[in-house]
Amino acid sequence: MTTLDTRPIHDEVPGNYLTFRRGLLSWLLTLDHKRIGVMYLVAVLVSFFVGGVMALLVRTKLLWPGEVSWMTADEYNKAFTLHGAIMVFLVIIPSIPGALGNFVLPIMLGAKDVAFPRLNLFSFYLWVLGAACAVYSLLAGGFDTGWTFYTPYSSQFGAGGTIPVLVGVFILGFSSIFTGVNFIVTIHKLRPPGMTWFRMPLFLWALYATAVIQVLATPVLGITVAMLVIERAFNIGIFDPAMGGDPVLFQHFFWFYSHPAVYIMILPGMGIISEIIAVHSHRHIFGFRFIAFSSIAIAIFSFLVWGHHMFTSGQSPLMNVLFSAITFSVAIPSAVKVFNWLATLYKGSISLNTAMWYGLAFIFLFTIGGLTGIPLAVLSTDIHLHDTYFVVAHFHYVMMGSALIAMIGGLHHWWPKMFGVMFNETWGKIACALVFIGFNMTFFTQFMLGSQGMPRRYYLYQPEFQIYHHISTGGSYIMGLGFLITAIYLIHSLFAGKKAPANPWGGASLEWQCTSPPPHDNFATTPRVGDCYDFSAVSWDEKKQGYVVDAEAHVAAAHHGKGH
Amino acid sequence: MTHLVTNLMTTVLMQSSTDPALAAGEGPTPKTFWLPEGASTFAETNDWVFNFINYINYFFFFLVVGLMFYFVWKYRQKGREVYARGPSHNTVLELGWTIIPTLIVVVIFFIGFRGFVSMKTVPANAYQIDVTALRYGWVFKYPNGATSEDLYVPAGKPVKLVMRSEDVLHSLYIRDFRVKQDVVPGRYTTMWFQADNPTGQNEKGEDKFHHLFCTEFCGVGHSNMNRKVYVLNEMDFNEWVVEQGRWLDKIPAEELYSKAGPKLFARCAGCHTLDGKAGTGPSWGNYDGSGNIWERTASATSTHKVDGKSISELIGQGKKYENPESYLRASILNPNDHIVEGYGPAMPTFRGQLNDKAIDALIGMMRHLDEFDAKGNFVGKK
Repeated sequence: MTTLDTRPIHDEVPGNYLTFRRGLLSWLLTLDHKRIGVMYLVAVLVSFFVGGVMALLVRTKLLWPGEVSWMTADEYNKAFTLHGAIMVFLVIIPSIPGALGNFVLPIMLGAKDVAFPRLNLFSFYLWVLGAACAVYSLLAGGFDTGWTFYTPYSSQFGAGGTIPVLVGVFILGFSSIFTGVNFIVTIHKLRPPGMTWFRMPLFLWALYATAVIQVLATPVLGITVAMLVIERAFNIGIFDPAMGGDPVLFQHFFWFYSHPAVYIMILPGMGIISEIIAVHSHRHIFGFRFIAFSSIAIAIFSFLVWGHHMFTSGQSPLMNVLFSAITFSVAIPSAVKVFNWLATLYKGSISLNTAMWYGLAFIFLFTIGGLTGIPLAVLSTDIHLHDTYFVVAHFHYVMMGSALIAMIGGLHHWWPKMFGVMFNETWGKIACALVFIGFNMTFFTQFMLGSQGMPRRYYLYQPEFQIYHHISTGGSYIMGLGFLITAIYLIHSLFAGKKAPANPWGGASLEWQCTSPPPHDNFATTPRVGDCYDFSAVSWDEKKQGYVVDAEAHVAAAHHGKGH
Repeated sequence: MTHLVTNLMTTVLMQSSTDPALAAGEGPTPKTFWLPEGASTFAETNDWVFNFINYINYFFFFLVVGLMFYFVWKYRQKGREVYARGPSHNTVLELGWTIIPTLIVVVIFFIGFRGFVSMKTVPANAYQIDVTALRYGWVFKYPNGATSEDLYVPAGKPVKLVMRSEDVLHSLYIRDFRVKQDVVPGRYTTMWFQADNPTGQNEKGEDKFHHLFCTEFCGVGHSNMNRKVYVLNEMDFNEWVVEQGRWLDKIPAEELYSKAGPKLFARCAGCHTLDGKAGTGPSWGNYDGSGNIWERTASATSTHKVDGKSISELIGQGKKYENPESYLRASILNPNDHIVEGYGPAMPTFRGQLNDKAIDALIGMMRHLDEFDAKGNFVGKK
């Protein structure tokens, strides 16, 4: 079908998308959303490894309050900048939509592919090009501006690799926009008959809300970094006051994108958690409409709160007050989701698989991440906490403890589907526990560091903070070990894992009704859909060692309004 | 419903203002698990808000996580039983957990708003200190012209900082005062605080202080850009600021122009450049072909025009000014007596602000202008 690789099919073993065609070119030129998803997955995980190593270097330096011989202040600044830029632009933003979304979205819709398969592949190669720019910027002297690129530091001083990395960010923005456009069109046009908006899985609602933000907000980032490149390269004053520009204007532009970007990162994660909690509780998700609409509410409100990053920036006090007030509006839909997930556990039949462990870890960590946002949204307390480790801890609880944990949870949830193998559950739980404990050690101590007044991005610090840094760094090593174990048992499962059944967890949405791994075309005929959260027609099949969905009963139940 | 909100808010706000910890003059609040020592009038109110939010957060955290663990244990899967018949929605419950958190955050917003308004309302009698931030240090300038690298403030008096940056963004953060404000090049930002208790000395007789941090990333020396804040009682402070203002007297005469000149010139640099570029006032450099400020003033054949005629008609034996030094001194103390062609009467008088020694230093700098770079740094003979 859809592939640029036009070699005749003769020596392949048909059966699933992994064996459909062979050879490196069949991957590099594929138009299959599943293969593109897998390529994204590999790319994102490699970047995650590099960004993680940077984080460990930074954490290791912070064991000592003074200078260390093996890392200068300049190297430290470059390391934390690289960590932030990689994790935001190369890992978290593309991770869930690019890797898991690409793989799962068309299958959940019962479609053969996304609406624009070529655009999808182009999107991936834009990611590669953007990443290449970032690598080139390292050769050109690195960059040390922090991932926020604040002017006039970035236009006057920043290290030699600043322009290349800005070009990279510009290109990555287009990769993100194209994925967004593709998903919006796919969800509008390729839903199967019978799948109304309110029968659509919540993961797709989340991806849809995310895609809207990607399409509307990312162009602002593109324009902003383009203006910064112009200022730096041609000395045209836009943001630099020495040339008649305004540095606070840059912050407005930057956060007009980067605050919605926070929701580009977290919304898909929330979508995954809705799937994981419902499937592993084997019961109908509680309050479907509230969860679905809260994703849309978050997407809308996310555009109105950027100024809360700037309470101390010198913007007018009136703006501060307005932004603080509006910021609280984002807290409500997030809280609604947490309460709905809790209510979904109520009277469920909860199986504690590794994916569910990650789902529960998400609820725990996101609750902390969300609640600690309150003192940051409150004007008077934010003045004290702004630009301290409290902020660092807060956004790591949301970006890593929530968005990335959801991504890892989703990876475990769909791993059997993606590769047709089961991973080792025992090691999965051990690794999850290590990541959870390590994460809390690393970042909970940083709340204390911050509220005690330790500023962020500090190479040297007061000796009174050392004990917190020791616990934090110790935690980061435990977390690193957890991820290392995860990598080992996942890779091991590819070669030696037990063959996965079509439906290992008992899901009722469409992706569990095709084989694991799915065939090249996903479904031979367009499947009929029922209520994807109605588990009344799901039962355990001893022979298949997996669950089976009685499709007839499932669809019939939806038409009779049963299963609610 | 609105009634309920108002009532709730009044209760909460009343509580904040009648909190016993707010009574003034009790000394700094000690360091706690979450917060450092609180040593300004803001610390007391802001810490109360922080703790109030914390208690709400503890409640919701334990509620969510407690219910989560309870449900996971109570409703764990038994055997391969799969289909669980939990309710799929409950509109009243869901509206409840939408509306109640909304009311709570409205209250929290107003408490924070109240604290913020007082942080932004500078008292009219505040003592003003001018702050210049530059990579990687701070210059604090007091009303009598004294400057310091660490910050000294009088106790029990509102202090207002008017801040500007020489280069990139910085942010001035005094954690024990709970205040922070970015310092932005190209504009002035202000903040104020009042510290009631002098920092004093510890048991070993060393001066105690509060930390002052730069909290906006500014380059390799960012984490070195921290200084100390000393709070002195009013008498000690007045003594200190006068003594600090005498820094000029401590510089030997032969180094006066090279050491004191650049420091003093910093006050002129807003209007006068050194390299001939246009400014509010005439450049000290050569801008009209008549030489730099000293050459064009001292030369008997100067083409420099003042009051519509050549400057040499003003200076010399039997003329208004006997020598160029007298003319320059007059230009600093009575700047609008003579107006340089192309400029208006814009310069304020420095009478009472610069003493004879300071004027000496400035004139010395003018005579040796070739020993300074375009920014006023002394570079020595070329």
